[in-house]
Amino acid sequence: MTNDTSVDPGVDAPLAPATAGPAPASAPQKTGGSWTSKLQVNRFSGIYLWAALILLFSLWIPNLFLTNATLQGIIADQSVTIILAMGVMVALAAGQYDLSAAQVLGFAAVSTAWLISVAKVNPVLAVLITVVGCAIIGLINGLLVAVVGINSFIATLGTSSIVLALTSLLSGDRLVGPVTDSFKQIALAKFFGVPVLVAYIIVASVLVWYVLEHTPVGRRLSATGANIETARLVGVRVKKYIVVSMVISAAMASLAGVLLVARVGTVSSTIGPSYLLPAFAGVFLGTTQLKPGRFNVWGTLLALFLLATGVKGFQLAIGANWITYVFNGLALIVAVGLAVVFERRRTTKVKDTPKVKDISN
Amino acid sequence: MSDTINTATEPIPAIAIKSLTKSFAGVQALKSAELEVRRGEVHALLGVNGSGKSTLIKVLAGFHRPDPGAEIMLGGEPHEAGSASAAHAAGLRFIHQDLGLIDTLTVEENFSLGTKSGRGWLSDRREQKRVQAILDRYEVDIDAKSLALELSPTHRSILAILRAVEDQMGSDGIVVLDEPTAALPRDEVHQLFRIIKRLKATGVTIVYVSHRMPEILEIADRVTVLRDGRTVATAEAADLTLDSLVKLVLGFDLKALSRTAADAELGDVQLSVTGLTGDVVEDFDLEARAGEVIGVTGLLGSGYEDVLGLVFGAAKPYSGSIRLGGLDVTGEDQAHRIANGLAYAPADRKHLGSMPEWSVRENLTLPDPPSHRFMGWMTKRREVAETLEWIEKMDVVPVETEKVFATLSGGNQQKVVMGRWLRMQAKAIMLDEPTNGVDASAKRAIHLALREAAANGAAVIVSSSDIEELVQVCDRVLVMGDGRIRAQLVKGELTDDALNTAVMTATAAA
Repeated sequence: MTNDTSVDPGVDAPLAPATAGPAPASAPQKTGGSWTSKLQVNRFSGIYLWAALILLFSLWIPNLFLTNATLQGIIADQSVTIILAMGVMVALAAGQYDLSAAQVLGFAAVSTAWLISVAKVNPVLAVLITVVGCAIIGLINGLLVAVVGINSFIATLGTSSIVLALTSLLSGDRLVGPVTDSFKQIALAKFFGVPVLVAYIIVASVLVWYVLEHTPVGRRLSATGANIETARLVGVRVKKYIVVSMVISAAMASLAGVLLVARVGTVSSTIGPSYLLPAFAGVFLGTTQLKPGRFNVWGTLLALFLLATGVKGFQLAIGANWITYVFNGLALIVAVGLAVVFERRRTTKVKDTPKVKDISN
Repeated sequence: MSDTINTATEPIPAIAIKSLTKSFAGVQALKSAELEVRRGEVHALLGVNGSGKSTLIKVLAGFHRPDPGAEIMLGGEPHEAGSASAAHAAGLRFIHQDLGLIDTLTVEENFSLGTKSGRGWLSDRREQKRVQAILDRYEVDIDAKSLALELSPTHRSILAILRAVEDQMGSDGIVVLDEPTAALPRDEVHQLFRIIKRLKATGVTIVYVSHRMPEILEIADRVTVLRDGRTVATAEAADLTLDSLVKLVLGFDLKALSRTAADAELGDVQLSVTGLTGDVVEDFDLEARAGEVIGVTGLLGSGYEDVLGLVFGAAKPYSGSIRLGGLDVTGEDQAHRIANGLAYAPADRKHLGSMPEWSVRENLTLPDPPSHRFMGWMTKRREVAETLEWIEKMDVVPVETEKVFATLSGGNQQKVVMGRWLRMQAKAIMLDEPTNGVDASAKRAIHLALREAAANGAAVIVSSSDIEELVQVCDRVLVMGDGRIRAQLVKGELTDDALNTAVMTATAAA
């Protein structure tokens, strides 16, 4: 610890010279004026990055990358993640981490497969039972958080393990499936050469975008996540919104699970968790795009396609699996890091210090 | 306060600043400002927001580099402004409004964050003893082992000051206090003053920045007033009265602007509270009619600071009933109360009153975002238009709907919060410390807005520790002591002296 800090560096101390340490006062302002501010202004940086990645792989591995199969592969892979991410984002907007979402996805996949292939239930009924069951898991999550008062991180970590147990019990730790070919059409159908998955992506995104970003309900939900005390004092029924957000998260996860099983036919009990990181990485990276500082649908969508393109490209070019994990992990850290830096820059521009380079001398 | 310090020979001033100019993007925040602080005095620095007061402090602290040509001498030595470490080495210590204490650490640990006794191995016991010895030396009743969050606001301030002073400062040091009493209850301010006087007695120089004029006359030896980036005056505090000081700071006479809103006829009962009991409050009754502004005050701990939260339901009362315009809302939640015309603006704007990172627009429309009847669709254009209307009405500066709320000054934040509830056409508007941390001219604007809200048919209830504010703005004031209403002063008898006396005696009786 330096001995020149008479005042402890509070994050938003209005004038914090002590935190600047021995550096000349103008130095932090100068760096603040250049690259970070450009990045901040540039809330479209993700689009450029995406274009750059596409260009890179087009030049590097044109024969492998610039194919219809690659495009279809990215859409197929991402459709499940996107629907999961949309639900997770709703919970995050309400200030809650739903770590159980990916396991719920896995449970929904196994449950649908089991109901169809083992219990021989009508597929429509199978999906209905699964979604309702998962919504109940979401309700339990919501009640644990809003009524009992457990931190969502802890509560969903706990339920996630219990859902894994249910999944394992149901599957007997064996592969479950296959589902019927007609059921598979849910994911494999094409209209005029366009996969039906595209429609799911659009419907899920537009729906969440509409509710979250263009209705009072969404505003109140976001208010709950932004500052729960203020939200309560302006009349938002915060507990209700927390419970609802957790139910939506679980329900969306279950739909993603249904889609997954329709796509692959046969699933194991451990299929869920691998979707957790990409979904969270996409949502957090999304907060740095288009509407900085907010959980937003189009930013998330952009982020998820950006990540998928990178992962797919490197997989094709290098042919190794580890690249996927590195890419998603790095993306999550970079995304949250950028979000934190942006938020600090955005909210601490005090009136006395306009963002101008110190041009004295 | 006697003038015993070297008046015989011309002493070297602790701080001497001449022709200090500082511009930002061509706009001059300071225009050849001057400041001379004598060694060992308490020197108050005054000015409304935007007067350049905080820029001057930031130059001293090394946060801004002044424009060329400035002359800054500290203790007779030229000082190169623009470096935090040089300021520290020259014995300057700054106590900001954000005290920089970590709530979850003990007093001793907080102390050691700034001042570490530099032997490698940190022993808790030894540190505790050292810190306790310092606290005892200043006769402060703080236990070095207690957590920072357990301390009263006053003790927290004192802790921050002592920590800074004890950090290798020496007796020729200079302590700059930025609004040290803004968050303190009035009756505890004297504790802080005792520490300041004590530091002064040991030869420490103190620069004191504050909006609260009466206390400046009490504590300061001399006063420097900044207005519009220039030094308007430096005067002996003894030669000033409250009126002349206010006139110096504002540049005009506040009295000339006194209450303009017509005294509206009192209307229907908008809010009635009977037998409210909770926290320290006992058996609180209130009947607020359309058109009146009611004050609630008392000493800290008397319950005046808890009443509004209880009425609103932010804290759960044990018993009592609450009616809004004839409708019983006793068992209902806040959402229901708001829907029926109750509004509450807490004192803590940052944590309870706003979404600091959100825009002015979103903060203003928060209780009821404007939406289309068809499927609740919200259009930004309509929301912007509605927000513009309100921030113009409330005179929020700048007139920008997308500005991040946290970047507004305290006065403008409060105006947005008031606009929020006026837009909701609340029948009863309750505000806790509405002008806390707000400069003199914004304060005036807020007072006018309160009167106007009442004139337009709302009942306004203000809980405040600011006696002058209550006298200026209220039709009647309830004085609480020990949880109960002890006195009520109505318009004719409502003067600073009468109200001060009522507050003091309300406690004595209890």
